[in-house]
Amino acid sequence: MKMPAGLDIARLYDEHAQSLYALLLNFTRNEADTRDVLQEMFVKLAREPNLLTGIRAERAFLIRLAHNAAIDLMRRRGTRERTKENYAAEIISPFAPANDPDEKVFCDELALALGELPAEQRAVVHLKLWSELTFEEIAAALDIPPNTAASRYRYALDKLRDRLRPLYEEMKKAE
Amino acid sequence: MMNDETGQFEQRLSRRPLRQIPAGWRTELLTAAREASAPCPASPVGRHGWLTTFNRQLATIFWPHPTAWAGLAVVWGFILAMNVSLREPSPRLAEISAPPSPEMMVELRKQQLLLAELIGPREPCDAERSRNVAPRPRGVRAELVAV
Repeated sequence: MKMPAGLDIARLYDEHAQSLYALLLNFTRNEADTRDVLQEMFVKLAREPNLLTGIRAERAFLIRLAHNAAIDLMRRRGTRERTKENYAAEIISPFAPANDPDEKVFCDELALALGELPAEQRAVVHLKLWSELTFEEIAAALDIPPNTAASRYRYALDKLRDRLRPLYEEMKKAE
Repeated sequence: MMNDETGQFEQRLSRRPLRQIPAGWRTELLTAAREASAPCPASPVGRHGWLTTFNRQLATIFWPHPTAWAGLAVVWGFILAMNVSLREPSPRLAEISAPPSPEMMVELRKQQLLLAELIGPREPCDAERSRNVAPRPRGVRAELVAV
């Protein structure tokens, strides 16, 4: 049970698992699927420690790995969903439960609005807003040009604002 | 003004705290990763290194659709069996069939002679005839046609 030399899998977990978990949960909306993808990723990293050799942007590399795994899973799940009617019951929000009722409503609506975005826009929004990456870092992580990352972000943000405008205005007035 | 509003909206979104990864996952995932990376214990099969490697290679190739590969193998087996069963009787038939009798040989010879008489000596066909004629200038050919 000895880890390959040069790869500290526990350090990788401690430094990146939380942000990867949030990204994957935003994609899959299912905790079991998120766990499966994360486990698959860490098993792969443990089996092939050379994957990280020569990688300078470790975080970007892991995000790309997680993103690709999530897309594969979504394709597989697309087939499974057709046969699984009660799937909606399993969906969970990527946000922490809120105590304030207004906050809770806003978070629920935000989670729904994010779910309606195309996967590629959702990934950019998540990485920009909640992983606090720059467009250059997002571009490197998702293997797209920085301009594409920026335009996807703008489109996604416009959609979210339109979708959440009534709630947002109400909350602003209340403040 | 618009940028200000967008900035505020972005800030409001980014302030939403994300769900935390379940604490128990750390142990579970790291254990799974360590188990996956650990070398397999020595076994009697493990002694035959090349056999194990060959088995693993086969498993890697056949893993995605083992049923499909098995089906393909059955079909090939069936085709081979059919091929062998159809080919086998031909040499036996040749062995079993008796050589032609002298009377039959005489009759056959007569028929060949009759056929040769009916056909007559071989004459060159039209294509061969035209090939033997040397090409002439166009003017000469036109005169010949006119005549």
